Amino acid sequence: MAVAQRSGRSRYRLLLLILTAATLLTLDFRGFGPLETAQSRVRDVLQPVVSAVDVVLGPVAEVWTVMFSYNDLQEENARLRDEVDRLSSADIRSAAQQDAFDRLLAATAVTYVEGVERLTATVLRDSPGNFDDDVISVDAGRRHGVAPGMAVVTAAGFVGRVETVDAVSSTVTAVSDPGLVIGVRLLDTGDVGLGHGMAGDPTRFVVDAGLRWPETGDLSELPTIGSAVVTAAGSRYPADIPVGRVASVEPAEAGLAQLVTVELSADVQDLGYVTVLLQAPGDEAPVGPDSPFPQESP
Amino acid sequence: MTALQSLPTVLRRRRLMAGGGVTMTVLRLIVVYLIALLLQLTFFTQVRVAGVAPELPALVAVLAGLFAGPRHGSMIAFWAGLVWDVYLSTPLGLAAAAFAVVAYALGGLTEDLFHDTRIQTVVLAFAGTAAMVTAYALLGEFVGQRGLVDDRLPRVVLVASAFNAVLSLAAVPAMRWAVGSGPARRRARRREPLNAPRTVR
Repeated sequence: MAVAQRSGRSRYRLLLLILTAATLLTLDFRGFGPLETAQSRVRDVLQPVVSAVDVVLGPVAEVWTVMFSYNDLQEENARLRDEVDRLSSADIRSAAQQDAFDRLLAATAVTYVEGVERLTATVLRDSPGNFDDDVISVDAGRRHGVAPGMAVVTAAGFVGRVETVDAVSSTVTAVSDPGLVIGVRLLDTGDVGLGHGMAGDPTRFVVDAGLRWPETGDLSELPTIGSAVVTAAGSRYPADIPVGRVASVEPAEAGLAQLVTVELSADVQDLGYVTVLLQAPGDEAPVGPDSPFPQESP
Repeated sequence: MTALQSLPTVLRRRRLMAGGGVTMTVLRLIVVYLIALLLQLTFFTQVRVAGVAPELPALVAVLAGLFAGPRHGSMIAFWAGLVWDVYLSTPLGLAAAAFAVVAYALGGLTEDLFHDTRIQTVVLAFAGTAAMVTAYALLGEFVGQRGLVDDRLPRVVLVASAFNAVLSLAAVPAMRWAVGSGPARRRARRREPLNAPRTVR
């Protein structure tokens, strides 16, 4: 009897936990402000501890990295030896400084956006989870004027959007995330569509909404392979930020729509520095009847 | 109420008293969880096998289910998942729900296990982590998160579970200390009377 009662209470408690989780999920989906603030405060409180532990354990983790990337290091070592032969006068320190400078220059020499305030940020670390490969942390936050939804770029092009903002750090969802939908314009044809990253391939992006297959069947109306793709004026980000180049065009939806695969211009896997465009983000790009993009439904 | 019926309650009370009460148990759990979280957020962002890190918050949740039983274990697992959610890009509550359900099931299934051997705990840590990671990914897809269930999922589940199984060897003593478990728990499982002598292994 008592066992049954206890079991009933346990199930009741589990049900309460699930209902609590469901409530939190719903509130989070709706962007409930206090919930986001609470999460941000938790991260802010732990941030100094995380940084301190990172400093202490960093070298140990480096040892692991060195151990398990021995082959890569051998190749890199050979390449560096060649480089040292060519640049015998340059010491390793200056080479490292030059590398950091090049990466910084690559992140800050943004020439394609004008009239938008920018902020250079350092990439802190990759995502801690196993399902967040497309999320990075940067050392710029609320105190620096960063807000959720702002565009993050390098000189090569669009890198992603600011997702969560804490006091001195932020997370950025990379353009390679399949869940990040971006309004893009194909420069070759002027067509505007919606695209997102491809799961399992951080170098590619697919535009799968808003592009109609030529009704006449004239393939010359399709975008040329290698032509540029940029952010669209109707998207939530500043217009004309390079996204990549067209890699392939295929028919989709029974030959009625285009499926355009784009080779991303920015390498989102090896980032040292990034530039945050401090422009208030526009509204979420709606998909469906309210979309600012041409409706290409058959 | 018979002596047998009141045994788990008495044991639980004794366990908490022995550990200094509920407050001390909660504090110990916070300490253990924070250590796990900090390791996950720092060390294991770099130390990965085949690109996959262990899931230490899930390991804490699994061991909570094993050592604290379905009732308390699911509560501990819920909080472990909730704090982990703060650092994940998925919505708040996703890991909390997945961890709580799996910890409850694991606690219920293993409550009547006869032995508490090391190999058994390692196997359960593997299975529990696999269940939690899979539940998290499936639940995420169910609520509309993209990219959680793909061809990478089996690798993540296997490697993270194996990682957790190995790390459970170090985590088990810490979690036993945190929940004030150990001999009392084992005795409760075997339904031994309170004054029975401890078995020397």
